[in-house]
Amino acid sequence: MITIHPDNTFLPKLSQRLEESDSLCSYEEFKLAWQGLKLQSIPQFEGVLALNQLPHIQFLEHQIDACNKVVHEMSGRAILADEVGLGKTLEAGLILKEYMIRGMAKKVLILTPASLVNQWMQELSEKFYIQAASPRKKHADWKHWDITVTSIDMAKREQHKEEILSISYDMIIIDEAHKLKNHQTKNFQFVKQLKKTYCLLLTATPIQNKLSDLFNLVSILKPGYLGDLTEFKKKYKNTSLEEEDTQNHIHSLLGKLMIRNLRKDTGLDASKRKVKNITLNFNEEEQQFYDKLEALKADHPSFTWLTLAKELCSSREACFMSLKSLNEKNPSDLLKQLMDSIAELPHHTKAEKMADLIENSGEKFIVFTEYRASQFYLQWFLQQRGISSVPFSGKFNKSKRDWMKQLFKNKAQVMIATEAGAEGINLQFCHNMINYDLPWNPMRLEQRIGRIHRFGQEKDVNVYNFAIKNTLEDHILSLLYEKIQLFQNAVGDLDAILEQIPGGSFEKHVQSILQESDSQGEIDIKLKNLVSYVEYSVEERKELG
Amino acid sequence: MNSASHYEFTKTFFELNGCEITEKKRGHMKVKLTKEMDESLMNRPFYWHYMKKMNREGDPLSLTFKDIQLGEEEEGIYLHPGTPKLQQIYQVSLEKGYTTRLYENVNATVQNIALHPWLCMNVRLTFRGKQSKDLLLSLGLNLINGALIHGIMEKLDNLPLMSKVADYTFPMTPLIKIESGYQRILDHIESYLSSLDTHWAEESLSQLHHEKELLESFYHSQDVDEDQYEKELEQLLIRYQPRIQLEVANGGLLYLTNQTSNNMLTKKS
Repeated sequence: MITIHPDNTFLPKLSQRLEESDSLCSYEEFKLAWQGLKLQSIPQFEGVLALNQLPHIQFLEHQIDACNKVVHEMSGRAILADEVGLGKTLEAGLILKEYMIRGMAKKVLILTPASLVNQWMQELSEKFYIQAASPRKKHADWKHWDITVTSIDMAKREQHKEEILSISYDMIIIDEAHKLKNHQTKNFQFVKQLKKTYCLLLTATPIQNKLSDLFNLVSILKPGYLGDLTEFKKKYKNTSLEEEDTQNHIHSLLGKLMIRNLRKDTGLDASKRKVKNITLNFNEEEQQFYDKLEALKADHPSFTWLTLAKELCSSREACFMSLKSLNEKNPSDLLKQLMDSIAELPHHTKAEKMADLIENSGEKFIVFTEYRASQFYLQWFLQQRGISSVPFSGKFNKSKRDWMKQLFKNKAQVMIATEAGAEGINLQFCHNMINYDLPWNPMRLEQRIGRIHRFGQEKDVNVYNFAIKNTLEDHILSLLYEKIQLFQNAVGDLDAILEQIPGGSFEKHVQSILQESDSQGEIDIKLKNLVSYVEYSVEERKELG
Repeated sequence: MNSASHYEFTKTFFELNGCEITEKKRGHMKVKLTKEMDESLMNRPFYWHYMKKMNREGDPLSLTFKDIQLGEEEEGIYLHPGTPKLQQIYQVSLEKGYTTRLYENVNATVQNIALHPWLCMNVRLTFRGKQSKDLLLSLGLNLINGALIHGIMEKLDNLPLMSKVADYTFPMTPLIKIESGYQRILDHIESYLSSLDTHWAEESLSQLHHEKELLESFYHSQDVDEDQYEKELEQLLIRYQPRIQLEVANGGLLYLTNQTSNNMLTKKS
């Protein structure tokens, strides 16, 4: 039953060396080799041996359980699907370390979105003493690097692809794996071709629009586990994801290869989230200008007005930039006139409020805005008020991002980030956030909050959502956010629901409502319908739950 | 096993191999490699090949190591379990300390003292299937009377052993040939293994069969290429096929006095 692989080299070597004694070793060398052997040997099958070696990290129970399960029950191929902020990366790191200590993972490839490469390298080194390499510019040594962190886009480039595919990896980790769900993409095909023994797929949203997405993720880990695609599709063609039976069935199917911890089950609620919606009134000049914008509706598509109105709720600068580019394409007197009068507006109501809030608290804040123009303006404005701030954007290169994070941690009071910065920075040292303007999709807000309300946050987190009364923003806030009760809800569920609305994701729905409606009234009604659909699904899910 | 023991191990290793070590603070050392160490550890065969061809000395590199206590404040390679460089150092230390012949150093007396030959083998058994572990056996066989003991390395502990025969002592010729001694030890290991619990292997096997079936039905029903199938099958075997890798990590001949030999049999390791 058990194959025993014998050792065929020792005896001939020993006999030969006893003849030519100068290749025999000293007692010290002999003892040292034995000592090294003891140091690296693995005494037992069971347990997470890495824990003893990493006493400086306080792992949470659900993370240790996850590691135990993946290593000992799932045999190292699993989907890690904890909710945002529960420390998926930490789980993956622990599993990787365990396999390395056990001598089962020597050659490792970690694929992440480009914006997360640095963070992975840093966490692996600081927390797990795993020193990884990453290709820079022209230098890449896939063959000799033991642990490599890179993006899929980099790895699948012509000059690297072939070499990477020729390597037998002991372990492959793919972060943000939901991006792989479509089996026709090059990324999916590439990942599928990789030679791997163990494999971890990390995603906070394993079940998205379609069951076949899930099928594809699973087929990377265990081909055949869910049967074949045609049969699978046939079987589930008429079942809806909302049905209880289907839900239970899918969960039990996946139980053997997916770990999914929810915030509410982990006791991570120790750090509370306090959300405050702050609704402000435009000052007189701003209000007048906002009303003036309405004139655009006459000979522009309604989407143009929507964009400009939303921008005005953020800053004069953001709105001005759009007016300017509109005017460059189709010059008109109206646009010129608007550009002239916008220049005369006083400081933005929100900016003043923001500065007051920050000044009064004296603590660190992260401010999110959707617009780069607003980002510049706010930085300048804070400077006028004597408040230090740093900008942040996901588009910064690695070293700039790290530098800004470091500056924020040690020197500046405020970080002003654009949406592109929402993924990939962890700022647990800060516990105040201002959402200076609001994205259409509530889940994007969740991602923002996840930057500071996550594993490792020791204080309660304050989130301030800014909106201007009687504007579009007011609608977004009251219709989309408050009704959905985003902030109190189990977000994992909501996440799935928002992605599964018939006819496209929540975000797409909102966008098309805004684009296709002719009046504010129509927008309101359609948004209300959308929201009640979501509400209904949440309730239904709760009852099943 | 705390992390400091890995640091100490590494330091001893480079000292024994004649490298110059500068320790600017506790837990941090810079090692100037010798040519030999560079060749073993730095993965640059082409460089050394080229140097040899050009008849030049070549310039060995330096390595910097740190204990984990130092964190990010210092440059250097962490000496922590699972670290690839550390694994490599362990490997080289096994290569350097692979085979030996040692004689007990007896304080000089006039009469001739006979030294009994022992075949010593340190064996690593790697169990691998769904899970993994190692079992280390340190075995000694008296090549005169066939006595076999476990834990010989621990029992030798403070004994003075050296590479040359001490004055007034002489090594006896083995009555059991090394080859047959080796076989006896292997037989012993085999019977030892058969006495162990095999539950882990059974579980691995059943899992293997289960997943193999899934894989096969998947590839039969779908027109997926043979290549992919073979690749997956190979991986299934790596992950689940229960197997034991027997490796003699190091070993050799030890010549011990009659008294020491007798003590070996009674001493607890």
